[in-house]
Amino acid sequence: MRYQNRIELLQGTLDMLILRTLAWGAQHGYGISQAIRSGSGEVLQVETGSLYPALHRLEKQGWVRSEWGQSENKQRAKYYSLTAAGRKQLAAEKSRWEQMSAAIGLLMQEASDEQA
Amino acid sequence: MSKRDDELNDEIRAHLEMAKRDRIARGESAKDAEANARRELGNELLIREVTRDMWGWNWLDRLGRDLKYAGRQMKRSPGFTSIAVVTLALGLGATTAMFSVVNGVLLEPFKYREPGRLYLVQNLPPPQAKMDRTFPINARHFSEWREHCQSCEDIAMAESTGFTLTGSGEPVQVPGLRVSYSFFRTLGVQPALGRDFLREEELPGKFHEVILTDQLWRSRFGADPGIVGRVIQVSTEPYIVVGVLPADLHLPVGWGVSFINPMPSLMFRPLGMDVATQHEAGMNNYLCVVRLKPGVQPAQTLAELNAAIADMVRRFKIDLKPTLLPLQDTVTHGARSSLWLLMGTVGAVLLIVCVNIGNLMLVRTSGRYREAGVRMALGASRGDLFRLVLTETIALVLLGGSAGLLLAQGALKMFVAAAPVTLPRVDEIQMDSRVFLFAAAAMLMSVLIAGLLPAWRLSRTEPQESLKGGSANSTETGGRLRLREVLVGIEVALSTILLIAGGLLMLSFLRVMRVDKGFEVAHVIEQGVSLTGPAYREEPPRIRFIGEALRRLKEIPGVLSAGVTSQLPLRGETWIDGLAEPSTPGNEMKALANFRFVSADYWRAIGIPLRMGRFIEESDQDRKVPAVLISERSAAFLWPGQNPVGRMVHLTGTGGRGGEVVGVVGEARAVIEKESPYMIYEPYWDNAPFNPTFVVRTRGDAPAMMGAVRIALRGMDPTVPITQAMTMEQVMDESVRTRRFQTTIAAAFAAAALALASLGIYGVISFTVARRTAELGIRIALGASAREVAAMVLRQGMGPVLVGLGAGILCAVALSRLIEGELFGVGARDPWIFFSVAGVLSVVAACACWAPARRAARIDPLRALRFE
Repeated sequence: MRYQNRIELLQGTLDMLILRTLAWGAQHGYGISQAIRSGSGEVLQVETGSLYPALHRLEKQGWVRSEWGQSENKQRAKYYSLTAAGRKQLAAEKSRWEQMSAAIGLLMQEASDEQA
Repeated sequence: MSKRDDELNDEIRAHLEMAKRDRIARGESAKDAEANARRELGNELLIREVTRDMWGWNWLDRLGRDLKYAGRQMKRSPGFTSIAVVTLALGLGATTAMFSVVNGVLLEPFKYREPGRLYLVQNLPPPQAKMDRTFPINARHFSEWREHCQSCEDIAMAESTGFTLTGSGEPVQVPGLRVSYSFFRTLGVQPALGRDFLREEELPGKFHEVILTDQLWRSRFGADPGIVGRVIQVSTEPYIVVGVLPADLHLPVGWGVSFINPMPSLMFRPLGMDVATQHEAGMNNYLCVVRLKPGVQPAQTLAELNAAIADMVRRFKIDLKPTLLPLQDTVTHGARSSLWLLMGTVGAVLLIVCVNIGNLMLVRTSGRYREAGVRMALGASRGDLFRLVLTETIALVLLGGSAGLLLAQGALKMFVAAAPVTLPRVDEIQMDSRVFLFAAAAMLMSVLIAGLLPAWRLSRTEPQESLKGGSANSTETGGRLRLREVLVGIEVALSTILLIAGGLLMLSFLRVMRVDKGFEVAHVIEQGVSLTGPAYREEPPRIRFIGEALRRLKEIPGVLSAGVTSQLPLRGETWIDGLAEPSTPGNEMKALANFRFVSADYWRAIGIPLRMGRFIEESDQDRKVPAVLISERSAAFLWPGQNPVGRMVHLTGTGGRGGEVVGVVGEARAVIEKESPYMIYEPYWDNAPFNPTFVVRTRGDAPAMMGAVRIALRGMDPTVPITQAMTMEQVMDESVRTRRFQTTIAAAFAAAALALASLGIYGVISFTVARRTAELGIRIALGASAREVAAMVLRQGMGPVLVGLGAGILCAVALSRLIEGELFGVGARDPWIFFSVAGVLSVVAACACWAPARRAARIDPLRALRFE
């Protein structure tokens, strides 16, 4: 089962990934989950039960907006897109993420050095 | 479903569709694609619920959602819901209505300016008279106080009077007061129209000015804006209206004293006498109200009042001492304990209602432990479960409460209509903001009592346990059972207390009805007339009118005897003066007697027996020394063990006059619940009353004679107003109206408590039997007889009842002081009442247990064990 190799996402991280995905353009919920999965080389799996609550939360915070549209298959779907505030938020989260991953990387580096 | 919910649905549907399409594109069959997409999506319901949470639930939305759930629960069990809502509506309605009364009568301060500075001045009786009531004051004393009291801002005097409005149609009798010019000023009241009385208007011959209440101004004079200065006909004499009182002014009815007419005063005129020249002792007939200066202690004023009349007290050896009574307390005093008792009764019933609902909820929730277990396994928190059950109670209480508020308004109208007029301030009762606040608090309390326990119980469900344990097969765990039994015990204890209180009041009522009033009630009618017109200002015309009326009344066929009195028995104490021999230096008063002015046939007509000597006779009119009769108690007080006939007794009014006792008669109560006062009867021609009451004894049906009596009196002088005649039964009825009212309410609520408690017992036992069907089946299968099973259920059901009964009886004993003052002829710990209540409660509880016990005995063991 492919399921077992997937990593479940923490909430804050999910928000950032959604914003990042939407930076490329408006997308519906299913599209976002597919984009995250393929974009992460099939490693990151977004649970539908986390995705929609996250989208609705982001919309309430004013970082994304939504409107109904047609998919390429003539399917009616709700498209989400970034707002100006969302773009700012993405930038902020991105720099925070970089700081944190650098810090964690540093710590993990030391740990593996000691082991060596 | 809102538009937003629809959109969320569509969004997730679209997601599912796209996933399916992708899978088909990847080569899965349509059926697999559908199933896999669904599996990948997960629990759609849960997704929707969690997403909805993101919309920012405020507490109101959440409440709405919980209420929806509660609504579903309530629809599922309409029987429980309707019982709960109806009992809550009744409980909350009654409590709110009763609180409105307590609020209007006792809590709401008087609307006069700074009412805390208003006091009544009354006289304390001499200590050796051993009387626990106070007496009206003397006009001359008032005059001295008005001159000399430095710490009094204002002081006023008043006396009951009646006005006969003539002019158009039949004369109308209007109750009112004769007042000192300072009366309204003392109360802090300004007429809304016109002016107050002037000082010089108080003097004799100058009393043709009147002030009207707003009510009379509207009802009789059509709210005529030009009423001030208008001349109106009172007893065919012209009076001039000088003022109209404000609409929202409520003067106390009866003023909390027995000598003021317990009818709302509608019209006022000045005293019409020079208080400075009145007699210095006796004639204690007047109401006195004083307003203290700001910051003055009552003790200081009292000292000044005593000092002002010190000379007179010394000269006449007056044993009465003035005392100051806070006005509001005094006016509401008679109603206070009675109202609080009723409030307590109604509150206890509400408590029983809540405990009952809590118990039924508990029964219901215990059927829901599985549901609770499932919910918790799915991720509901304890708080969620707690909230869910509490919301159900809130919904019930909101429904019951709103129905209760509507009921309360109706109940209040009925209460005010049925309440005795002597209930002070009853016309001021309304549902104000304080009442609504109280209703809200009562509802909150109901939620807490009825909902907290079941909610707490359910939220403590252990999902493992509840899912593992089957439902019907298990016997119940001890804890849950015991809690319900405790609640039943509480219900029974409360009911016991209410039943004992109701029983004591009912027994008191019976004792009052059976009390020896001293006269014969049957076949007697009374008919009052008012001789206040100008033609009757002097005494001789009044004497002539009464004599002629008595002659005409006796001529009516079917009349056995006819008499007259200045005041009927049971209508209160009045004309109070010292009981003494005239020979005693200075009329030293050791006790106080009631004086009545009566005709020769009065005792025969009303049925008061002669004990010694003779009645007075018409021929006594020529005697120099008035012939008087006294009651047995007066005789025993004045001349213990001696023959009173031929002795002299002090008479009221002008000092030093004495009368010769020609006979002794039996007692007659002036107030039904009090031992009859010392009585002295003088002939009516000695002091002809302005408002005499004729007493007519008839051969047959008394009410049928009222018309003939009326016609006979009308025929003498059509301008003389005649009151509505009553039979003595009605007079008696009127005198017990307050007690009957109180007893009815207390008994009704005690009965309601009993019904609720038996409902609670029945509910719990039925449920227990249903839960234990399997266990009982096994017992029967193992050879227990039907009787043994029934007996076991009965025994277990009656356990908490008996404990509750015992607790209730102990509480009733402990609380007996509270009700003592309301009882008549029965002790607060009357063993008969306690035994009867214990008996009635046990029988009713046994009946409530009986049906479930029979059901238990008839359990078919085979079906019971299969029953899942």
